[in-house]
Amino acid sequence: MIRTEKILFKYESTSRPVLRDISLKIEEGEYVTIMGANGCGKTTLIRHFNGLLSPWSGSVNVDGLSTSEPGALSEIRQRVGMVFQNPDSQIVGMSVEEDVAFGPGNIGLPPHEILERVHNALERVGIGGLLKRNPHTLSSGEKQLLAIAGALAMRPRYLVLDEPTAYLDPSMTRQVLDVVRRLHNEEGITVIHVTHDMDEIVGSQRVVVMNEGRIILDDSPTRVFNRVDILRPLGLGIPKVTELMRHLRRMGTDVRPDILTIDEACEEILSLLDSQKKIAKPSAGCGSLFPDRPVE
Amino acid sequence: MRNMNYFGQFVPGTSVLHSLDPRVKIASLIGLSLMILRGDIMAGTMISAIFLCLTPLCRFTPLSMARAIRPVMPFLALLFLVHLLFTKGSPIPPFPAWAVTVSYEGLRQGALVLWRFSLLILFAHLLTLTTSSTELIIGMERLLSPLKIFRIPTHDIALMLSMALRFMPTLLEEMTRIKEAQMARGAVFGQGPLKRRIRAVGSLILPIILSSMRRADELSVAIEARGYRRGPRTHMKELRMSHRDYASIVVMASLAALHLFESLL
Repeated sequence: MIRTEKILFKYESTSRPVLRDISLKIEEGEYVTIMGANGCGKTTLIRHFNGLLSPWSGSVNVDGLSTSEPGALSEIRQRVGMVFQNPDSQIVGMSVEEDVAFGPGNIGLPPHEILERVHNALERVGIGGLLKRNPHTLSSGEKQLLAIAGALAMRPRYLVLDEPTAYLDPSMTRQVLDVVRRLHNEEGITVIHVTHDMDEIVGSQRVVVMNEGRIILDDSPTRVFNRVDILRPLGLGIPKVTELMRHLRRMGTDVRPDILTIDEACEEILSLLDSQKKIAKPSAGCGSLFPDRPVE
Repeated sequence: MRNMNYFGQFVPGTSVLHSLDPRVKIASLIGLSLMILRGDIMAGTMISAIFLCLTPLCRFTPLSMARAIRPVMPFLALLFLVHLLFTKGSPIPPFPAWAVTVSYEGLRQGALVLWRFSLLILFAHLLTLTTSSTELIIGMERLLSPLKIFRIPTHDIALMLSMALRFMPTLLEEMTRIKEAQMARGAVFGQGPLKRRIRAVGSLILPIILSSMRRADELSVAIEARGYRRGPRTHMKELRMSHRDYASIVVMASLAALHLFESLL
C-alpha cells in the first residue's frame, strides 16, 4: 500500500505550495488514474511515491517503508517502478538488453540473475525480439515499452506511469496501454497512471482528480464523470462516448449513463434497437456492425 | 564490407579479435602504441606485419581499413609536410629552391611519422571495429578500477562515458531538428561570407545547449528512479579471460620484451 499523509510540498523557487494537504491511500492491486490540468501537481505528487521528492511536511509510506528514510530508498525504488513521458530521456543503455539490465545492475544482482530478469521483462511487454537492437533505432512506442520493461526488471509491485503516451501516436498509445492493462489484469500489478486524456481512463477502477495541488475528486470513473460541473471548469472533458450517451439520455433515449468505451456504447445501442424493434433473433453483437474491427 | 566506412564503427562478428577480452585488447593497443611511437624502422616493420596478419583474421581487408582512415588523411599529410620541410639536413638536389629546403633527413623523418601515425590510427580502428562500445567501457572501467584507492569514482566515469555515447545520435537528431526549424524561418547555413556562417552556427548552439540541459535533468531523475546510486554496480556480462586472452598477453609481453631488449642494445 502506498499511503501519503497530509503532504505539503513546494519548490524552492516558488512561494505557492505545489501540493497541499494530500492524503491518499493506494491499495495493492488497484488501477488508479490521476488526472488534472497542466500544473495541478500530479507529476509532483507521483514523484513522492518513490522518494524522488520528499514532502516539506507530512509523510509517504510504501508498504510501511518511509520515503524520508534514506536507507529504505533502494528498496522503495524496487517496489515502485516509474515510467516517464519522454521515451528518449529515460533510456540509458546502448542496446535494448543493456538498458533493461541497468536497474538490476544498480541493486547489485549477479549476472545470471540480471540476464534472466532482462529476458523475462522484455517478453512480458512483448518486445523479446528486439534484445540486441540499439534503442535509438526503435519507434517511440517501442521505446516506451522498453521503459516499462526496464521498470519490470526490478520486480515492482507498483507501476507509476507519468503521461506515458504523451509522445506517441494513437496506434502506439493503444499498444502501450494494452500492455499496461494486461500487466494489471493478468499479473495483478498495481498501476498508477497519470494522464490528462479522458479516453485513457479505460481499465482503471478509480480516478483521482487534482486541481491546484489538492485532490478534488476521488471515486469510480462513472461517478467522477457525473461531476461534469467540476470537471468542465478545469478544462477536463469526459470521454466522447460517455458524453454522447448522456446526450442521448437527455433526449429521452433510455441508455445507461455510465458507458466509457466505444464497445460498451455499441452493445448498449444495439440492444436498445433490438428491444425497440422487437426483433425475435438477438443481435450478433458489435462484430457484425464493424466487421473489420476486432472485438475486445 | 560496404557498411564499414567510418572510423570508430563497430562491426559485429565472431573473429578471434572479436572474442578477446576487451581489457586485453585495450592494454594491447596501449602497448603497441608505445612501441610504435618509440620504435625505429625495425619495430615499425614488425608491427605492420602484425597488422597485416590481424586484418584478414577478422575478415577485413587492409584496403577497406585504409579507406576508413580517409578522413584523417589531411592531418597526416600536414604532419608529413611539417617534418619534410622543417627537418634540417643535407638538401636533395633541386633544393633549396624558392626558399624551401627538402632534405634527405626530412624525407626520412616525414615518412616515419606518417607511417607511425597511420599504424596508430589503424590499430585503434581495428579495436573499435571488433569491440562494441559497451565492451570498451566495461574494459576501461575494469582497467581503471585500481584508481578507486585514490577515490576516483571509476563506476560513475564509466556510466558517464556510456551515456555520452548513447546520446550522441539523439543529440545529432535534435540538432537537425533545430536546424530545420530555423531554416523554415529563413536561416541559411553553410552559405555566404564566413562571418555570417559563424553567426548561423552560433544561433544553433544555444538551443542545443538548452535542450541538452533539460534532457540531462530528465535523465538524472529517470536513473534515480531506476535505483541508481553512486558506487559499485553489476553488469549483465562479466568479463572472463579465456585461453586466447592469456595467449595474447604472452605474445604482447614477449613483443614488449623484444622491443626493450632491442632498444637497450
